[in-house]
Amino acid sequence: MNFKDLRRRWQALFHRDELDQELDEELRFHLDRLIEQNIKNGMSPEDARHAALKTFSRVDQSKEECRDARGVGLVENIIRDVSYSLRILIKNYAFTVVVIATLALGIGANTAIFSFANGILLRPLPYPQSERLVFLDETALKRGIDSMAVSYPNFLDWREQNKVFEDIGVYFGANRFALSGAGEPVEVRGSYISHGLFEILRVSPQLGRTFTADEDRPDEDAVVILGDSLWRKNFGGDPNIIGRKIMISNRARTVVGVMPPGFKFPQVSDMWVPVALTTKTFTRTDHGLNSIARLKDGVSLSEAQAEMNNIAARIEQQNPITNEGLGVSVTSLHDTLTGDYRKALLILLGVVGCVLLVACVNVANLMLARATARQKEFALRAALGASRWRITRQLMVESLLLAFVGGVVGFILSIWALRLLLTAIPIQLPFWMNFGIDLRVLGFTAGITLLTGLIFGAAPALQTSRVDLNDTLKEGGRGSGGVRSRARSLLVVSEIALSLVVLVGAGLMIQSFLRLKRVNIGLNAHNVLTASISLPRTKYKEDQRATFFKQLLERVRSLPGVEAASATATVPLSGDGWGRSLTVEGFPVLPVGQAPMIQHTVVTPGYFRTMGIPLLSGRDFNDADAKDSPNVTIIDERLAREYWPNESPIGKRIRFGPPEDNEPWHTIVGVVGAVRHQRMQEDTRKSVYLPHQKIPVGGLALMARTSSNPEDLAGAIRREVAQLDPDLPVSVSTMDEVVAESIWQPRLYATLFGAFAGGALLLALIGIYGVMAFLVQTRTHEIGVRMALGATTRDVFKLIVGRGMKLTAVGVLIGVAGAIALTRLMHSLLFNTSATDPVTFIVISLLLCSAAFLACYLPARRAAKVDPLVALRYE
Amino acid sequence: MNKQQGDLFKQGTLELLILRLLSSGSLNGWDIMQRIELLSDEVLTVTAGALYPALHRLEARGLISAVWRPSDNNRRAKFYGLTAAGRKQLEAQRKQWERFSDAVALVLRDA
Repeated sequence: MNFKDLRRRWQALFHRDELDQELDEELRFHLDRLIEQNIKNGMSPEDARHAALKTFSRVDQSKEECRDARGVGLVENIIRDVSYSLRILIKNYAFTVVVIATLALGIGANTAIFSFANGILLRPLPYPQSERLVFLDETALKRGIDSMAVSYPNFLDWREQNKVFEDIGVYFGANRFALSGAGEPVEVRGSYISHGLFEILRVSPQLGRTFTADEDRPDEDAVVILGDSLWRKNFGGDPNIIGRKIMISNRARTVVGVMPPGFKFPQVSDMWVPVALTTKTFTRTDHGLNSIARLKDGVSLSEAQAEMNNIAARIEQQNPITNEGLGVSVTSLHDTLTGDYRKALLILLGVVGCVLLVACVNVANLMLARATARQKEFALRAALGASRWRITRQLMVESLLLAFVGGVVGFILSIWALRLLLTAIPIQLPFWMNFGIDLRVLGFTAGITLLTGLIFGAAPALQTSRVDLNDTLKEGGRGSGGVRSRARSLLVVSEIALSLVVLVGAGLMIQSFLRLKRVNIGLNAHNVLTASISLPRTKYKEDQRATFFKQLLERVRSLPGVEAASATATVPLSGDGWGRSLTVEGFPVLPVGQAPMIQHTVVTPGYFRTMGIPLLSGRDFNDADAKDSPNVTIIDERLAREYWPNESPIGKRIRFGPPEDNEPWHTIVGVVGAVRHQRMQEDTRKSVYLPHQKIPVGGLALMARTSSNPEDLAGAIRREVAQLDPDLPVSVSTMDEVVAESIWQPRLYATLFGAFAGGALLLALIGIYGVMAFLVQTRTHEIGVRMALGATTRDVFKLIVGRGMKLTAVGVLIGVAGAIALTRLMHSLLFNTSATDPVTFIVISLLLCSAAFLACYLPARRAAKVDPLVALRYE
Repeated sequence: MNKQQGDLFKQGTLELLILRLLSSGSLNGWDIMQRIELLSDEVLTVTAGALYPALHRLEARGLISAVWRPSDNNRRAKFYGLTAAGRKQLEAQRKQWERFSDAVALVLRDA
């Protein structure tokens, strides 16, 4: 394209009026010459003019072609199409509002779920070259364990022997530390980390340095690295903090570094201390660490896995007792972190996509109805020289315009919806989840908006472009072509099928959630307040810990409104857990790896009564179970049934830990009901309880059963703790909250599914209603004839409802087939509910059918009321 | 495409004729129409609905250019003239046309 050409196109686009005037003038010249010629040939001036105009009538049409010849026809025409569309859409604002609202809801829901999925699945972790980071797990595949925490000596061997990683590091969960001496004592989430961990992540501190290898040893480890937010909030962002000693859980530690803003690892930690372990304090049979590593450049995941397999085999050879059957699994860190969410999110995306499709179908339906009403307009335009392509394009422009506005409104809705979604998540979200709007989200919204416009715009556009204009004009715009009604039937069927899939999914999810909620967790969680307290080791020696809790419990018990109070080291369903291997006297001794793991729980006397856990036989702990008294334990009924199905376990003895440690035997003095400690879904670990006076751990949760709303007591309990030790942080929640939080994921999924299903159902019903109402309207004449020929209102009613229900039935059948195929993917998200649960399928199908019946009923009643005389005159 | 053109006037044929007529001097639309009928002994007729779009297309392609000047009856008219590119195009198309018509003639004679 040369410059001249460019200038001409530019002129053509922006000096349109001028060029149009020129064209008019050119054609008028031609017309005048034609009239002159006619006069010359002997016509009267009037006849001459008339004849000229007649032959010239088609020249007006050619104007459009002349404009096209200018080369900018497309741009110019689209501008004209858009402004024409805008006028049309504004004129029919009711239609426009309905369409835009439908689309906005569909697009908004999709964008919200996509942003959610994007934040979890698609965004890379916030570390440089995070795709090279891997997570190392131990495995014991022979025993069916595919993921197990790492032991310290094994980690040291890995670190020394491997050639595939730049480095390997270990860390130790998000622990609660008490930070005192800087204002109010606060509870801080912190982690124990091995030296070199931050180098693996490639994040350097903004102040100071990371830990040295020397500091990663017992007694040398009085150092700490602070997170940015902790540093700002509790130390006012003091730039001279490095070298300052601060009190953490009553131990003075020197601050050596401050990490940059936004950095957290793992999950929510905001403070780090050296793990400082030795192979003596943490043996090969202690599995409690998490491990990450960075792949060397050019090393693939499978190469790393192969290397680790060799190393694990070597370690097993050298340590046959402790490491029998132990392997290592290497997975990408991102996959490990997102594993739990991936499936649920993909399914949610699928479901919300179905809702958008239903919305599309509905809008397509509306567009089709309107296109029918506008047939005359199109026919007229066609007669005036607009090509079919022009009219089709005009319709597509209208559709895209609607989709665009729907997309923009939907996008705004999604921001709000996402915020709502996030408030439904009770846990503190891991650091790496970030739900901001990025290019990917914008691209997604733009993409689905365009796609939506094309999908719902295609039907009417194709329809109209196929219509024979002459027929339409003759028919007086009443057109009810067979093609058209087939298209509408197809839309209704697909709408029903899609919503059935969503409804069945929602039915299964909700049923599963309700079943989960009804699970008997083995205790009465209502009106129980939990207050977690962690006594610093350095300040409280073992005896003092027992005394502290005894005093505190006495104070709390005497508070008005407290019915009972006691304490436990592991709050059920809170995620706390302490697994140990079990040896039972009289049964074969198994090496650590093969011995059963039990939930090891330390409680104070009265715990079972406080929590409403039934004491089935024997006795509870009491104050006599003190330091020097015989070792006693209480077991749960499942353990009792396993080992002593036909006799009383009272008086039998058990012990914990690896057999070679020769820990003392504990005599069973009581049997209590089973409690779901780990997850509501299932609890494979049987429980063993030990008295706190014997094992005076520093971290206990005080449990108080109250006679009224437990939250009212939170302040009083905090005050009692502060009177005993003003430096102790306390974190309070109700047991009901703990239970609800443990199932927030199923709850969220059930809620979302329910909302989507409700939306899909509503849209589908509107769709059926619209089609049936349209059918009645276009067939009023026919109905009148039928009635005049003797059809009863019943017959007419049957005609309309029958047609609607036939479509519904086809849709339901297709939907059931689709749902059977799709819900199978949900299997792992369901609790005690089969993915092909026949009851759900039947109930949902019936529900949909009866709702569809209602949607057909109203138009059918109107049809039945048709007065044949009026109907026949209807034309 | 232009339905009014009929079968006789394929778009390319009409354009070739226009280029040929303009090669001997600039003309306005009306004149071109008259000349086509005159020169073809009224065998070929062209409607305004076909002619003007063809002229605008040729102009857009840079084969002809237009100026406004008074016509013989002293009214302002748009006169089209051949550009250098148009002249080249005419030569090329004429050769092609001659080859084509020779070939048709050959077949008609010998078949």
